Amino acid sequence: MTIGWILLSLMIALCALGVVLARSPISSAISLLIGFVGVAILYLALKAEFVAAVQILVYAGGILVLYLFGIMLTDNEALRLTRQTHLQAWPVFVLILVLFLAVGHKLYHSDYTPQQPARLLMLTDQSQVQALQNRLAQEAGAAQHATNPQRVARVLYGDYLYPFEAASVLLLVAVLGAVFLAKKDV
Amino acid sequence: MSTAAFVILGFLLFCLGLFGVLARRNFIVVLLSIELIFAGAGINFIAFSSLWKNLTGQIFTIFLIGVAAGEAAIGLGLLIALYRLKHTANVDEARELKG
Repeated sequence: MTIGWILLSLMIALCALGVVLARSPISSAISLLIGFVGVAILYLALKAEFVAAVQILVYAGGILVLYLFGIMLTDNEALRLTRQTHLQAWPVFVLILVLFLAVGHKLYHSDYTPQQPARLLMLTDQSQVQALQNRLAQEAGAAQHATNPQRVARVLYGDYLYPFEAASVLLLVAVLGAVFLAKKDV
Repeated sequence: MSTAAFVILGFLLFCLGLFGVLARRNFIVVLLSIELIFAGAGINFIAFSSLWKNLTGQIFTIFLIGVAAGEAAIGLGLLIALYRLKHTANVDEARELKG
C-alpha cells in the first residue's frame, strides 16, 4: 500500500515538474492532464469518489480542452524559438526553493490531530453541547450506509445551498466576462 | 501515508505553480501553472476531509473546481485579447495598460 502512495505522489510531482519545465505548451497541457488523473486517483484513494469524478469530468473534459483550443489559436513561431523563461528565473528558483524548505520543514513537524468540531466550540451551555453531540452522532450513524455522492449532496444542498447559488452566479459572470474580453470590437 | 505527506505534496504543487507563474514567458503556461496551485489546495482539502471525517473539505473542493473553471474562461478571454493586439502569447509583450 505504501509503495502505491509513493508512486502516486511521485507521478503527480513529476507531472507538475513537466508542466513548468516543458518547452512546448502542448507538452505542458498533456503533462497537466496526466497529473490531474493522478490527483483524481489520490481523491479516490481518500474516499472522495464524487470529487474524483468531478475532477476528471471538469478538468480533463472541460478546462484542458479549452486550454488546448487556446494553444491552437495563439501559436506563434517567434515565441516558440525564444527562451521560455524570464531573466529572473534563477533568482525566483532560489527564493522558491528556500520557501519550500522552510515551510516544508515546519509542515513536516506540525501536529495534524483533529480538533473539536467548530460548531461545538461556539456553544457555551453544556446541555446544548450535549444535544448537538447527540445530533452529530445520529447524523453520522444515518450517513454510514449512504454512498459518498449521497452524503456530499446532503451537505452541498443543505448547509452550503447559498454558497452553491453564489458559485453559479460566479460562473455566469465569468462567461459574460470571457465573451466581452474575446469579442472583436472592444 | 501520513497527513504531513499530503500537506507537503500540496505545498510542492503550490511551489511549482508559483515558479511557473513567475518565470515562464508563455501566457498559456502561466495559466496552467495557476491550475497546479489549485490542485495543491484541493489535495489539502481532501486530505483533511479524509482525516477529520468531515465532508466540508470535499464541498470546498467542488467550489474550487468551479472557481478554476471561471478562471480558465477569463484567462482564455485575456489570452485571445492579447493575441489580437500583439499576435503573440508572450507576457513580456503586454506592457501597456491600454492597447
